[in-house]
Amino acid sequence: MTHFGKSIRSRREHLHLDDKRFSLRQVALRIGIEPAYLSKIERGEVSPPSEATTVRLAHELGEDPDVLLALAGKVSGDLQNIIRKRPKLFAELIRQLKEAPDHALLHVVREVRDGEW
Amino acid sequence: MITLKNDNLEFRFPEVHRDARCTIEFQRTLRIPDDDRDYPLPPGLGRFPLRHIDDFARRLPERWRRRGGVIMPMHQAEAMWISFGGYSGYPFAVKIATGKICAISGNPWMNHLNKDPKDYVVLPEQPWLDGYCVEKGVIRQFVAMPLGKGYTAEEQLTGAAQHGGLQIVVYPMKRKRYKQLMARATVGMGRSDELANVLYCSAPEPMGLSPGGRMRQEIYDDPYGLDAWDQKHSRRCFVTIANSTQWMAITGERPPTVPPSALEYTEAGLPWFEWYGGDVAAIDGARKLEKLASVAQLGKKKGERPLPENESVDVTQVVGLSAGGATLDREFTSDEILRS
Repeated sequence: MTHFGKSIRSRREHLHLDDKRFSLRQVALRIGIEPAYLSKIERGEVSPPSEATTVRLAHELGEDPDVLLALAGKVSGDLQNIIRKRPKLFAELIRQLKEAPDHALLHVVREVRDGEW
Repeated sequence: MITLKNDNLEFRFPEVHRDARCTIEFQRTLRIPDDDRDYPLPPGLGRFPLRHIDDFARRLPERWRRRGGVIMPMHQAEAMWISFGGYSGYPFAVKIATGKICAISGNPWMNHLNKDPKDYVVLPEQPWLDGYCVEKGVIRQFVAMPLGKGYTAEEQLTGAAQHGGLQIVVYPMKRKRYKQLMARATVGMGRSDELANVLYCSAPEPMGLSPGGRMRQEIYDDPYGLDAWDQKHSRRCFVTIANSTQWMAITGERPPTVPPSALEYTEAGLPWFEWYGGDVAAIDGARKLEKLASVAQLGKKKGERPLPENESVDVTQVVGLSAGGATLDREFTSDEILRS
């Protein structure tokens, strides 16, 4: 079982304890895949699904899509596009920040500016 | 601080408490018929895109830039609802205004909370806000209309088309009150460029929000009291609403497609929703907002037809959602709509 499969199975089964709609079959149908395929994903018998399916799965299970994509060994398409547009700048930025603690990273997160109104 | 993540506005108050964080997003939806019948809650069809207004400063009129905040696209006559989430049980008081008219009280914008009439919603008790609080248990849906045509709540109440857009201010609960609340809790908090130049030069009007059809939705009273809120710490955001042409000229991005009509959605056998909020009392509608004319009513008076596809629908499939449930989800993905 892959880390990805184990993680989503654990989350889904946790939700299923309180809500029957989180059965393997119902979750699979809601995200538009066959239950047998989801079962194989959870057991790590197949590679993690496409980005779109992983994001739908993340929303369904209340997980962060970027975290689930990372577990699947992927980087979201929008992030790839951001890096491709200014590869040198963003590569440098990410390398500079790789060892920074979380609280320091929060300081470089861009804030929405409030103005005069 | 307010940050933008995946088209979500994330409000955080680390100076108050590490748990003090919540998110606000704007959901695309179908416009309910504006026919004076009361409808259940329509679905969410995905988030509206949000962008920092500063990213397009050179392409925007000065008065749009000055307000700061974010920019969002809406088609004319498109509807929207506001979804609150992302909190870990920390309560918040949130004021929402359109054109600087409070959507709960109908009063002009004030940078503080008021009790009488109440002019805010409380999270996590209030999961969504779909429109103006016109009666106890009834709202009129937020519908985008161009400023200057007289349809917006702002123009109807002030006679001026000055602000448009949406205004938000969020206040966290006082740290001390939160800690007392946590201590009292015996069970978990389970509730859990060319065209752009034209834009710049002509200084166009943004979109505003207007009262549309009637919907059954309760606006809950504040179970904690005005004193619970930390009004020394607040975060504000102005959401400028651009029409689809303005949005493309400003951002270079296509706006989301026009949602299906209420009739198309219902005939496809897709569900509407009802929310059961438990024991929390609902507040009365605001007198000022109750007097507003809806877009269809005003259009009739003006001899205009501002709302295409406004046929009444008979809703038969209604899904009940409640605070005790594992999910508050009333959002559909586009794939789900296409499959139907």
